[in-house]
Amino acid sequence: MLSLRIAARFLRKSPVQSGLIAAGIAFGIGVQVFLGSLIISLQESLVDETIGSSPQVTVSSAAEGEPVTYTEVLQRTLEGHPGVTTVVPTRAYSAIYRQGDESAPLQVTGGELQRLDTIYDLSGRVTAGEASLEAGEVVVGRDFAAEFGLEPGARLTLVRPDGTADDETVTAVVDFGAAAANRSLAFVAGSTAAEVLGQEPDEYTAVHLQVDDVFGSVAVADELAAEPALEGLTVSEWQAENEDLLGALQAQSSSSYTIQFFVLLAVALGIASTLAISAVQKTRQIGILKAMGMKDRGAGRIFFWQALVLGAGGAAFGVLLGVVLILVFAQVGTTIALSPQWGFTGISFVVGVAVAVLSSIIPSRRTSRLDPIEVIQGG
Amino acid sequence: MGEPLLVAEDLGKTYGTEVKTVALQGVSFTLERGEFASIVGQSGSGKSTLLNLIGLLDTPTAGSVALDGHDTRRLSGNDRARLRNELLGFVFQFHHLLPEFSVLENVVMPGLIGGGSAATLRARAVEVLGLLGLDGLEEKNANQLSGGQKQRVAIARALLNRPALVLADEPTGNLDTVNTAAVYDLFRTIHRELGTAFLIVTHDRAVAQQTDRILEVADGRLVQDVRDAYVSPATPSPVDGDEATEPLPEASPSGGEEATEPLPEASPDGGEHAADEPAVSGPGAHEEPERGGSAHV
Ligand SMILES: Nc1ncnc2c1ncn2[C@@H]1O[C@H](COP(=O)(O)OP(=O)(O)OP(=O)(O)O)[C@@H](O)[C@H]1O
Ligand SMILES: [Mg+2]
Repeated sequence: MLSLRIAARFLRKSPVQSGLIAAGIAFGIGVQVFLGSLIISLQESLVDETIGSSPQVTVSSAAEGEPVTYTEVLQRTLEGHPGVTTVVPTRAYSAIYRQGDESAPLQVTGGELQRLDTIYDLSGRVTAGEASLEAGEVVVGRDFAAEFGLEPGARLTLVRPDGTADDETVTAVVDFGAAAANRSLAFVAGSTAAEVLGQEPDEYTAVHLQVDDVFGSVAVADELAAEPALEGLTVSEWQAENEDLLGALQAQSSSSYTIQFFVLLAVALGIASTLAISAVQKTRQIGILKAMGMKDRGAGRIFFWQALVLGAGGAAFGVLLGVVLILVFAQVGTTIALSPQWGFTGISFVVGVAVAVLSSIIPSRRTSRLDPIEVIQGG
Repeated sequence: MGEPLLVAEDLGKTYGTEVKTVALQGVSFTLERGEFASIVGQSGSGKSTLLNLIGLLDTPTAGSVALDGHDTRRLSGNDRARLRNELLGFVFQFHHLLPEFSVLENVVMPGLIGGGSAATLRARAVEVLGLLGLDGLEEKNANQLSGGQKQRVAIARALLNRPALVLADEPTGNLDTVNTAAVYDLFRTIHRELGTAFLIVTHDRAVAQQTDRILEVADGRLVQDVRDAYVSPATPSPVDGDEATEPLPEASPSGGEEATEPLPEASPDGGEHAADEPAVSGPGAHEEPERGGSAHV
């Protein structure tokens, strides 16, 4: 503890030097926390945009084209899984919209509006009209509506796969947030889809799920696939079909880690060199302490403590700085939802302290090896 | 009282590996508890080297130092540090106070290093500071004192752990005559009241004469070891202990000189007279006919 007291005194008596080291650590960790939180927020919002409004896990029949029988056991199994947040049985088919000479393919999904909202948030994305999916009603995407001049109340003829056609009334135009979806998605009543597909009331094309941790979808899918209630069904999840996106996220993370690594390296070098200078400046004091009987390890610990105190103090300020920056940026109204990432921030703090302590190895060893005679003889 | 405080046996120190400098060789002597002794000699004769070896700050290249019965050759670095802390007090020419700490904190430091409780040590430090006439300066920064005050603080620090032996290397080298006298008075008082042994390096012969025993070093050898020799120059070999030795012939002034007479300079042409006179005290030294001194090989 004497080492700690001496370390604290050395720090207090060189306020400028101590302040500089602490500021170096604070800025390093601040950048770290800010950058890390920014990247994580960015990725979360990107992932959310990409798959937040689409099923992350899909349960369908193993035999292609066969419906899934949505039994009570199946429902209980799916809803009972702790990682699953939303369960939406849907019916899906392709249809062709014709207007004069022109035509456009549509992916039609049938279901209850309330249920569909839990995944697609149709009601929340309406740009015109009011979402409703009673029998004979349809909700279409913005780009599709614009292309064909459709507005709420318009009649729409859909040609089904079997060649028959029927008319639906547009109730709402929605913005799915992606051009492809805005051009090709359409939603109809569950009963309409059942009739088109010839499915019984408890038969569906697939059951769509959302999970609370989107990157945990693989585990959820595997666990569900192993359930007896899902025998004869296949479970797929979004990551297997989005390798490009995942690759991009991975690349982004890597480049962010690289930047963070070099920031930390710069911080470490800064601390190490400043501590080394400080160790040289305190050579006389260390020599005197050793002449008076301080042991090598105790003397070496002085700089360990200095680094720990500076590291903890600097990193704490850095965390504060980073969080404040993130909050300020979040206020300034960006399109992505910025928020401090506490887990990452905690790791950054620990890393900052660890880097500081590691940087003290050289001065500590120097100090512990110092022979008091060098100081005593030097006068 | 049993074991001597310090036994130096055939101590030698050679610096360097390529170019060798023999700073000290064949020095043997014993110091009893409570002795008040000085080491004199010309600049470069090896006084500091000897003191640093005794103080376990440096390691001899030959011979041994036994402190309080511990053969220090066998001790680890930590044990040597502990012995320095418990048994020895150091006063250097430069006060070597820690500028980051107050007077009281400086004085308490050896006690804290030894693991003592802060409260007890503070009380003792205040007492020692009082003894040295430094009351009221406790909370001052070590930098804010005069040279004489700094040196007295350094002395207080050296005394804190109640060492059996205080080693002082030119403790008044940076002080004026008034402060010098005050410091030696203090040493005497402490010696008398606490029974602390002192070994004081000085090149001031007037100072040396006020000590009870004078060890003279010349060219790295112990050339004289006398007790009260100059107080009664008529009796050149007055000494009590078995380790005590006769002074050099030329060190005994040729009759009738006053006790205040300074010690004769260790022969300016030291290499020569040694050839005919085994001028040295202590075992081992006389076995070596050649007085190398700081021989550069
Ligand atoms: N670290 C060292 N390396 C090489 N030679 C040294 C070293 N320290 C001392 N010496 C040499 O050893 C001899 C004795 O030095 P020492 O410091 O003991 O003398 P001293 O009697 O204390 O002198 P002074 O009165 O000037 O302090 C000198 O010749 C000196 O040059
Ligand atoms: Mg000297």
